[in-house]
Amino acid sequence: MSRKLIIDPVTRIEGHGKVTIQLDDDNNVVDAKLLVVEFRGFEKFIQGHPYWEAPMLLQRICGICFVSHHLCGAKVLDDMVGVGYSTSNLITPTAEKMRRLGHYAQQLQSHATAYFYLIVPEMLFGMDAAPEKRNVLGLAVANPELVKRVVMLRKWGQELIQAVLGKKMHGISSIPGGVNNNLTAEVRDRFIKGDATIPSIDDMLEYAKEGLELFYDFHEKNRVMVDTFGDAPALDMCLVDNNGDVDYYHGKMRIIDNDKKIVRELDYHDYLGHFSEATEEWSYMKFPFLTELGRDKGSVRVGPLARVNVTKSYSTPLAQIALEKFHAYNKGKSSNKTLHTNWARAIEILHSAELIKELLNDPDLQKDQLVVTATDAMWTGEGVGVVEAPRGTLLHHYKANKEGNITFANLVVATTQNNQVINRTVRSVAEEYLGGKAEITEGMMNAIEVGIRAYDPCLSCATHALGEMPLEVTLLDAKGNQIDERRK
Amino acid sequence: MNAENDHIALDDITLAYFNHDSALIYGIGNIGRQDDGLGWEFIDSLETSSACPKAEKVKFYQLNLEDADLIKDKRRVLFVDASKDATVDTFRLYKAEQKMDFSFTSHAMSIETIMATCWQCFGKIPEVYVLAIRGYEWELEIGLTTRATSNLALAISHVARPVAKQLRQANDYAQCNIGA
Repeated sequence: MSRKLIIDPVTRIEGHGKVTIQLDDDNNVVDAKLLVVEFRGFEKFIQGHPYWEAPMLLQRICGICFVSHHLCGAKVLDDMVGVGYSTSNLITPTAEKMRRLGHYAQQLQSHATAYFYLIVPEMLFGMDAAPEKRNVLGLAVANPELVKRVVMLRKWGQELIQAVLGKKMHGISSIPGGVNNNLTAEVRDRFIKGDATIPSIDDMLEYAKEGLELFYDFHEKNRVMVDTFGDAPALDMCLVDNNGDVDYYHGKMRIIDNDKKIVRELDYHDYLGHFSEATEEWSYMKFPFLTELGRDKGSVRVGPLARVNVTKSYSTPLAQIALEKFHAYNKGKSSNKTLHTNWARAIEILHSAELIKELLNDPDLQKDQLVVTATDAMWTGEGVGVVEAPRGTLLHHYKANKEGNITFANLVVATTQNNQVINRTVRSVAEEYLGGKAEITEGMMNAIEVGIRAYDPCLSCATHALGEMPLEVTLLDAKGNQIDERRK
Repeated sequence: MNAENDHIALDDITLAYFNHDSALIYGIGNIGRQDDGLGWEFIDSLETSSACPKAEKVKFYQLNLEDADLIKDKRRVLFVDASKDATVDTFRLYKAEQKMDFSFTSHAMSIETIMATCWQCFGKIPEVYVLAIRGYEWELEIGLTTRATSNLALAISHVARPVAKQLRQANDYAQCNIGA
């Protein structure tokens, strides 16, 4: 008899969803889906509010990548008042560099959270280890010195976010046309040199290097597993600068295929002209795809792996060495290997630390030209903002009426962009770990979760909901009857 | 833990117990989600009234791993958080014990887990109390519900009440033992 497997909940991700796996009469996987089952309408909630409140309110979608939402909203507001990248009237270098500094600080601490909380423990203890061991708390018991460094990485990142954005969470620094503060030399020196409460930027670089070494060690010992687990082909997309290198704050949207051939390159203001969103009755999360290629061929992957696949080089030396090693290992092709996402994330932690060090030493951050003032005549009432959030390309689009109140808001978050490729990963892992099996084991459950967690999905963001949500796995027979279910 | 302070009954715990520069009062919550803002409102109330002036006061949306570092050098910590627990009628003050809680996500951790992480990483741990105040509504709206506001007032009046042992508590503070 065919079977259907339900994993409910999938743990240690953000959002409420479950996985359903359909088996045939011989227990072969014939379908696998990640179902996202919670919805809360942030886009509706924002309507009627003054336009300038949007970056403040919409960042409350998330407690982790709130800086990305804040900056994305700020870029929209720049457009709306006629000061953005849609014009030649750009914000000042100080304003953009302040925004970038906060952005990189968030990437550092967000990636460190995902990597050290969720991924390193599984690398060190193994996928089959008991759940209470393979997490950061188990790591705290086994290697407290490593966890102390993780604590400091997060603390350092959070404190830098506070220094730049005014608050540790849900910052207030970006305003239409710029920012409301610069970085004083005294504050700058604290982060460069460290003090009694925080380490120095060079310490952060050391911690980041150690994080990457952890992946290299793990990869060396588990090469076959890492290179075959959850293979999920997709196009790769990220923002790039004029050299074709990733730019986390601004650029063109570049989409490449597995041979690194450019499939599309577009101004993000034209996003809606190139992408469509499919819906499924079993999930609140949409499935974006390149309209011209269709959903099957036109779905994209975003986030660390996509960025490392797309970018040709890094501006910083240590990350450049790591990137060359990654590209050489994958023989010039884009990697579709789900666990290489963790490799890419570790590289980006290092790159973020280097970018921060560069900016901390940039005297533009102490300058006073913070805002480009807009006149009423420059008002456009509509804008699009895109940034590379830690989890991938994030897009905000708002419209406001002549009174300045929001009439329309649309958010396309990274986890939504990755919806199709996450589903492909679940299918791939299910085929390998569940195909031909008659019952669910802890190791099988965790394999599914490892595949999903590689994307560090935020289903709260993807459905515009708040709160933490676990996940389930359900097993269905060929007639669609539920024959097994498991949750943690 | 602080065995020498175990003689202090929970009923004797007031703000005076935390009125010291090595104490921390930590409001957890989100004022944009109705009664989830109870922890922040508590801190705002202390600051408005200048109560417990010597303690460090912070407000954050949720606990994170780095809070282990924040509490590691404190002697006493009071966490104030909203509670959905229907068995909490208005508020509940209790002493927390460290515990590895494996239900965490990358977005949030429990008080007990922060304590356990603090112990694992730094080999010391403060005396921790939790003031859980009952809330009722958690939607995307600014402002406490009427009932939560009432519970907050009751909680504040409880911990701010004068008790005969306050002076002794203040004296005890200097003797409190940190670490295991």
